[in-house]
Amino acid sequence: MNLIDRYVAEVGRRLLLVKGRKDIENELRSTLDDMLEERASKAGTPADEAMQMELLKEYGAPHKVAQTYNPHPYLIGPRIYPFFTFILKIVLAAVAFGLSIALVIQIISQSPMSAAEFLSTVGKGILNIISVGIAVFGNMALVFALIERYAPAADFKMDEDKEWDPAALKKEPEPDEVKIWEPILAIVFTFIALSIFNFNPQLIGIYYLNGDGWQVTPLLSEAFFRWLPLLNVVWVAEIVLNGMLLRSGKWTNGARLFSIGIKLVQVFIIVMLLMGPSILALTPESMASGGITDPDAAGKLNELAHTAIKFALGFAVLGTVVEVIKSLYKMVTQK
Amino acid sequence: MANTESLENVVLELRRGVIVLAALSQLGAAEYGYSLLKKLADLGLEVDQGTLYPLLRRLEAQGLLESDWKIEESRPRRYYVISTEGKKLLPKLKKEWTGIVSVMDRMLS
Repeated sequence: MNLIDRYVAEVGRRLLLVKGRKDIENELRSTLDDMLEERASKAGTPADEAMQMELLKEYGAPHKVAQTYNPHPYLIGPRIYPFFTFILKIVLAAVAFGLSIALVIQIISQSPMSAAEFLSTVGKGILNIISVGIAVFGNMALVFALIERYAPAADFKMDEDKEWDPAALKKEPEPDEVKIWEPILAIVFTFIALSIFNFNPQLIGIYYLNGDGWQVTPLLSEAFFRWLPLLNVVWVAEIVLNGMLLRSGKWTNGARLFSIGIKLVQVFIIVMLLMGPSILALTPESMASGGITDPDAAGKLNELAHTAIKFALGFAVLGTVVEVIKSLYKMVTQK
Repeated sequence: MANTESLENVVLELRRGVIVLAALSQLGAAEYGYSLLKKLADLGLEVDQGTLYPLLRRLEAQGLLESDWKIEESRPRRYYVISTEGKKLLPKLKKEWTGIVSVMDRMLS
C-alpha cells in the first residue's frame, strides 16, 4: 500500500456514512495519480515518496478533505432552524410555567414550613426546572436533527420559503384547516404528560385516606416505565408536529406523513406493552393497604384491573390504527 | 490582520457563487475533475480541489450534470458533462450574470 492509497483510505474512513463513498475514493485516487504524474513529468524524474508527500501535504489533511464532501454539515440547518427556535421557545416557556405552578402548589400544600425547608424546596424546584429544560432541549434537538437528516426538503418547506399572498387573509375555511386551539391544547397536554411521567411519576397512583392522612400507591409498573424513553421521543415529536400545524395552519401531506409515523411508533409501543408483563403495579397486597380488607375481594379486583388494562391497551391500538387509516385516506383524497 | 481576513472572506464568498457558473459553462464537452480544474486555471480561475470535486457531485445530485466512469491510460476517470436540465439552466444563469456585471460596473465606476 503506497502513501496515496493510505491517504485515500484515511479520507474514506471519515466518509463512512456518506453516500457514494467508494466513488469519492476512486475519484480522489485518480486525481492524485494524475497530479503526481504531472509533477513527475515536469521534474523529469519518476515519482518518488518525497514527491507523494509534497503532493499530499498540499492536498490537505484527510479530515479536511472528507469534510468538504459532507452533505450534512449542520446538526440543525438554516432551513429548519427558525422553526426549531420557535417550538423550543413555546415548549421551554410551558416547562417553566408548568413547573413553577407545580412548585407553588407544593409549597402551599406543605406549609407551614421552616425557612430552611422553604429555601430547600425552592432550590430543588429551580434545579428541577433547569434539568427538565435541558432534557427538553436535548430531546427537541434530537428530533430536529433527525428531521434535518431524513426529511426531504420539499416536504418541510418553511413559511419563509413560500410566497406570501395577502389573499390568504380572506380565504374560506378548508377541510384541511387546523383550528388554532387544537395544536395549542395538544402541546400543553403533551408537555404535561412529559413532565409528569418523567419527573413526577409518583403522582400517578391511587390516592386514599387512612389514619395517617392521604396515601398514594403507585399505579404503573417497571414494565411501563421501561418504554418511557421511546414515549418521550413520541411526545416530543407530537409537540413538533403540533408546532408545525400551528405555524402552517393546515394539514399538509408532510404533516400527515409525520403524524402517521408518530402513530405507528405509538402502536408499536402499545403492542409491546400488551405483550409484556402487566403495566399495572397493583397487587392484592397494595389493594389491601388501600382499604379493601377482604383478601378475596382484593384478589378479584386486582385480577379485574389487570384484565381491564389489557382491554384498554387493545382498544388504544385499534383507535390509533383507525386514525392512521383516516390520515392515509385524507392524504390520498387531498388535492 | 482583521482587514486581510475579511477581505479573504469576501473574495471567497464572491468566488463561491461564480464557480458553479464557470463549471457548467466549461462542461459542454465531458471533462474529468482534474482536467476541468486545469482548464479553469488556464482560463484564469484558480479553484481549490476541495471546492471543485464536492461541487461537481452536488451539481450531479441536482441533475445539472451527468457523470460516467471511463478507463483511460489504465486509470479510471470520472467524466462529467452538462445534462439536458443543466443546458436549460445555463442561458438563464448567463443572463443573470451579465445583469449582475453591468449593475456592478455602473455602481463601481
